[in-house]
Amino acid sequence: MDEDNKITDETPKKQVIETEVPLGPVHSAAIEPYRVRLFVEDEIVKDAEITVGVNHRGIERIMEGLPVEKANSLTEKICGICSNIHIWNSVLVAEKALEIDVPERAQYIRIIMAELERLHSHLLYLAHGNEVLGHETFSMRLFYIRETVMELLRMVGGNRVQYGVPVIGGIRPRAELDQMKIQKIEDGINFLEEKLSNFAERFISDPMIMSRITGVGVIKKEDALRLAVSGPTLRATGVAVDLRRDMKEYDPFDFDVITQDDGDIKSNLLMRVLENFESIKIIRQAINHLPEGSITNRSWEMQDTPITKNYVEAPRGKLYHSYALNDGRVRHCIIRTPSITNIGAMEYACIGCHITDAQLAVVQCDPCFTCTDRAIQIIQL
Amino acid sequence: MTVVDSLIALIAVIGTLIVAFVVSVWLPGIERKFVQARIQQRIGPPISSPGLMAPIKFFFKQIINPNSPMPGLYNSLPIIGIIITILLLIIVMPQLYFLAAFASVVALVGLLKVEEILYMFMGSLSKSVLSIRMPFPDLVKGAKHTDVPRSFVEELSSMRAFRLIAFGSFPIYIAIFVPVAMAGSIFLNDIVAYQQLHGPVLFTLGGILGAIVFFVGFMILLNEYPFAILKTKADVIEGPLLEYASKYRAYVYISRGLLIFVLSSIFATLFLGLPPSILSWTILLNIVVTLAFTIIMAIVSAFSPIFTYKQFYPVVAGVSILGVLAIIASFL
Repeated sequence: MDEDNKITDETPKKQVIETEVPLGPVHSAAIEPYRVRLFVEDEIVKDAEITVGVNHRGIERIMEGLPVEKANSLTEKICGICSNIHIWNSVLVAEKALEIDVPERAQYIRIIMAELERLHSHLLYLAHGNEVLGHETFSMRLFYIRETVMELLRMVGGNRVQYGVPVIGGIRPRAELDQMKIQKIEDGINFLEEKLSNFAERFISDPMIMSRITGVGVIKKEDALRLAVSGPTLRATGVAVDLRRDMKEYDPFDFDVITQDDGDIKSNLLMRVLENFESIKIIRQAINHLPEGSITNRSWEMQDTPITKNYVEAPRGKLYHSYALNDGRVRHCIIRTPSITNIGAMEYACIGCHITDAQLAVVQCDPCFTCTDRAIQIIQL
Repeated sequence: MTVVDSLIALIAVIGTLIVAFVVSVWLPGIERKFVQARIQQRIGPPISSPGLMAPIKFFFKQIINPNSPMPGLYNSLPIIGIIITILLLIIVMPQLYFLAAFASVVALVGLLKVEEILYMFMGSLSKSVLSIRMPFPDLVKGAKHTDVPRSFVEELSSMRAFRLIAFGSFPIYIAIFVPVAMAGSIFLNDIVAYQQLHGPVLFTLGGILGAIVFFVGFMILLNEYPFAILKTKADVIEGPLLEYASKYRAYVYISRGLLIFVLSSIFATLFLGLPPSILSWTILLNIVVTLAFTIIMAIVSAFSPIFTYKQFYPVVAGVSILGVLAIIASFL
């Protein structure tokens, strides 16, 4: 990437821009409604601005005053890709506030769901990345691989998008795993591991792809920290931060925090490929050591609680949920999705890129703008 | 030339055009169904859909005026494209070699250049709604830069078309001159006659190199992946063709299929000495060459990402150098 094109703190804010190329909110390279204004000179992006809010629904406002169980179900509607992590985090907030112990078996099944969802999210990311790259064959094959994960999610959760597995105190009875389901999960992840290995090998050895993605859309480690980037996008710059390490639910599992050093599109794509293998590792451990026992703890009582917050590692990064409980109803709800903190990095990554690479530079940060739009809070000034 | 000869020539020209049209409507289907869908492990569209049924469907769609400063001219450009493609095919037919200068590689190059320029006009005449500025968030809510001149995505592709005219089409023009160097003539009848005497140009070192260069040029001219910088999904989407709807889009589809057949026929004429003519069984070889080009192009496209200038310039430069080597080898 051309370092001279990066805007530093010393650069005057109002610079003379030759042309603006607005892309979106409806665009073939964007699977969600967002708009990126690219300020270009001779097809090189000098500055970028991303506008979201097209799909605003204000779910936090809708959650206010709802019974906590209903509010938890509503959080699944925030995102169609990582719906499970939203409901899980929302349930964790209630469990933390009400000091509820969750049975170990339920914890394991929640982990299996979370990691299957991470797999499907990362595979969707890789498929979409390849589509924007123009490599339709890899894109199609990744969607084909992802289908296995979607079927496993449907088998456990009952649906392909919103599974509704975690409930306060455990999981829903329909998500209980019997031997047949465990066997199917094992077969599925074995298939996935083989196909992903083949894909990774071919992807890395393709010189045309490597030429497109190496050294493009670079986010340096110090800039990533300054821009408060989170999740795999941050880890792709070399920062080994993974909230799963801090979550007690993940304590029984052995996994590595994957990092890459370059912070470019290649690092981001490889980051997700390698993280998929870690997710497979976690799922394998979970099904091999699945504890016996109950899946729900019903011995808890509703009470008023102060504002309680919880962070989890969503597929895209740090996910924050907080609310208070009053008469069993949700108050002061705030949700912050990873993409909103990553928007700064998306704009930054575009600078210095060719226009064709700009959408890819945005996509490398794995944006979920619909997720961001639905949960964003408008503050009256 | 007697009246009977003229009539036979006329029938041959019309017959060859009909064969070209019939073959060309199946080519996009073969490309997408038989090759790309198979590689991508998906069902793909019905084979008749992309080249035949889609244009028929578009012919019966409601005509929508494009968002263009000159809609009449913009809509007429695909028709001009079809006319140029037909002219290119007529030039290489042996029945019209008596036209001398018109049946030469200079005429071929000239018409191909016009075909390329059309994209530039299309791009500059299209102003799709996709690039219209949204004033509220841009200007009121503290945008980074306000009042910056806006570029439509089609303008961007128009500029790219201009660059393609400047450098992107080098390979195909260099490759066209390989048989010229061997035959020592720019006239097509001389080139065909030379190959009937000495065997096809393709079976020489210069011919093999020239064929590779021609194929790359063929893909660039057709804006196929990985050279599809005029219609990159990641930025300009369909580029110059974005605003075409109804029967005008049908013309675009027909024109593309026909261009595949015509460029393949040009290759068969220049490198194999087999001009397309319904009066000879070699028309079958023309069709085979067309199918081979379509299949190879589809395979290359399926396994390639889209190039940006960073990849495009070196590939064009490298292939052009190969073309120059082919010409040198032709002289030896």
